[in-house]
Amino acid sequence: MGFFDNILYGFQVTFQPINILFCAIGVLVGTLVGVLPGIGPAGAMALLLPATFRFSPTSTIILLAGIYYGVQYGGSTTSILVNIPGEASSVITCIDGYQMARQGRAGPALGIAAWGSFIAGTIANLGLMLVAIPLARAALSFGPPEYFALMCTGLIIVTYLAQGSILRALMMALVGIILGSIGLDVITGLPRFTFGINELTDGVGIIPLVMGLFGISEIFVNLEESLEREIFKTRIKNLWPSLKDWAQAKWAIVRGSIIGFLLGILPGGGAVISTFVAYAVEKKVAKQPERFGKGAIEGVAGPESANNAAAGGSLIPLLSLGIPPNPIMAIFFSALMIHGIQPGPLLIKQNPDLFWGLVASLYMGNALLLILNLPLISMWVKVLKIPYKLLFPLILLFCLIGAYSLNNVTFDLYVMIFFGVVGWMMRKFGYEGAPLILAYVLGPMLENALRQSLLISQGSFMIFITRPISAMALGFAFLLLLSNLFPYFKRQRKKYEEFKE
Amino acid sequence: MKALDQTSSLFWLLVSLSVFIESLRLGIGTLHNPGRGFLTFGASGILGILSLILFLQASLKKEEVKAQPFFAGPLWKRILLVLIVLILYSRLMPVLGYLISTFLLMTSLFLILERKKILFVFVSSILTTVVTYFVFSKWLNCQFPDGLFGF
Repeated sequence: MGFFDNILYGFQVTFQPINILFCAIGVLVGTLVGVLPGIGPAGAMALLLPATFRFSPTSTIILLAGIYYGVQYGGSTTSILVNIPGEASSVITCIDGYQMARQGRAGPALGIAAWGSFIAGTIANLGLMLVAIPLARAALSFGPPEYFALMCTGLIIVTYLAQGSILRALMMALVGIILGSIGLDVITGLPRFTFGINELTDGVGIIPLVMGLFGISEIFVNLEESLEREIFKTRIKNLWPSLKDWAQAKWAIVRGSIIGFLLGILPGGGAVISTFVAYAVEKKVAKQPERFGKGAIEGVAGPESANNAAAGGSLIPLLSLGIPPNPIMAIFFSALMIHGIQPGPLLIKQNPDLFWGLVASLYMGNALLLILNLPLISMWVKVLKIPYKLLFPLILLFCLIGAYSLNNVTFDLYVMIFFGVVGWMMRKFGYEGAPLILAYVLGPMLENALRQSLLISQGSFMIFITRPISAMALGFAFLLLLSNLFPYFKRQRKKYEEFKE
Repeated sequence: MKALDQTSSLFWLLVSLSVFIESLRLGIGTLHNPGRGFLTFGASGILGILSLILFLQASLKKEEVKAQPFFAGPLWKRILLVLIVLILYSRLMPVLGYLISTFLLMTSLFLILERKKILFVFVSSILTTVVTYFVFSKWLNCQFPDGLFGF
């Protein structure tokens, strides 16, 4: 089938009533999760995943994708109206978005965020179609050494792009690898690190792990503080940005889309990092950079476009290589595995309905976000007014239900609570959860690739250097690690951290 | 930060040592035929080295160790209460069933966060329990335990 035939086929899949319903539910739940604090996209996906078992993998992935980019959209609403980012990827939107709201321009700020997200999502979708297929074809020639090298490089990039210290991020990646090895050893079939607990022979479940580290710990952090918050009272009018607004924001949207898409492909916090880079670029190219921080519309348009484009870009490594680049894609990865689909280079060929259905659903989801959410902004504002005292018990209950319903065993509840406490402590001590989750998912694959490579080479590590792709990937990872030792890169990194603060 | 880094690095050092010893017990195999402890042996080894580096970095910092409260706000006791309630819920759900245990859970959580309005707590708990039961159990087919009383 040709390119356009495939797209048409994708739309046939997406326009099935069940898939339209799942896409709509996904974007609405995603927006809700983006608006509300406490659960996050990974937690929301984990919660809904067990409920999708009786539906097709395509419907499931369409639902999860809807949640993912719905969250990017919803996060901006709280940033603009409350000055509290719903998600990390909307932190930077607070700076100019909230200032616009204070100046009575909440409408154009929300409008440009929505339109920017729509345009960026569409551009990223085009990029996904153009890049994923050739990359998957190229990946067919990859063997265990190439996969091992790519996964190692991915983990190094994740730690390099971590928000805190690289050292701690590396430590978390190693803890993730160790956690991922709990359960039966794939090659010998013997248990390891199970401590005689039968439930651990299948390993630590990703759903309770993610819900604990991201959901429960977030609630614990919030519980420590006052549960009151103020919502800036403003009338939301003129959601359609004026021609002047468009003129100021159009190139910011284009630049944000490209930056977001390219950074989204990289392992690590694609959506988060891309918003900071997009903001910095906009400030740099602006004729009057002093407007930034005082309600510049480009300061909203650029980052909001970037985070949506990054959501599309991050699907590429998962769908074409089978390597999840961030914790959210790790949930996608698990969802595919639970539905019996092996993510990797053969996914597009063997499951065209899933790939093209997903691609078409991204177009539909972006359109739905625009159609549903712009008129619903007043509803999201009302949702923001739900008191935390009511919200947190509900989020806790949803987390408990989500963790329990995956395997119907209470052991998963204990696991979730345990990792909730671990996640809370990690936040206190300045450790990040993202490298841990990613390494936890990649760990078993990494181990397989390493052991198979050593079996092929009869115990020689030279196999990773003599094969060009793995040599280049590992060389790049090594240089990345080494770069942190040079003062110039240290200074740049410090600047970046200061900028984020 | 210095004290936090020192404490956490020592904790991870302990973890890495335990995993390292267990990996050796599991058997690391040879390079020709890696065993089931091979990867964790390497990972725990590197984790141990990095923990030591973090400990040394923290110890060499010139910052004074100040006695500062570890918990950010005065409300951290709420977390302890919520934690106890969550563990009790996990323990009681198979015994009492979803409906009763969830009602008790929600009542406790609402009471911890909103002590004054008893009627609000009671009505919210019943509503949440019934609605989530129908949505997740009846509509989405989640298999909740029936418990001693059969519901």
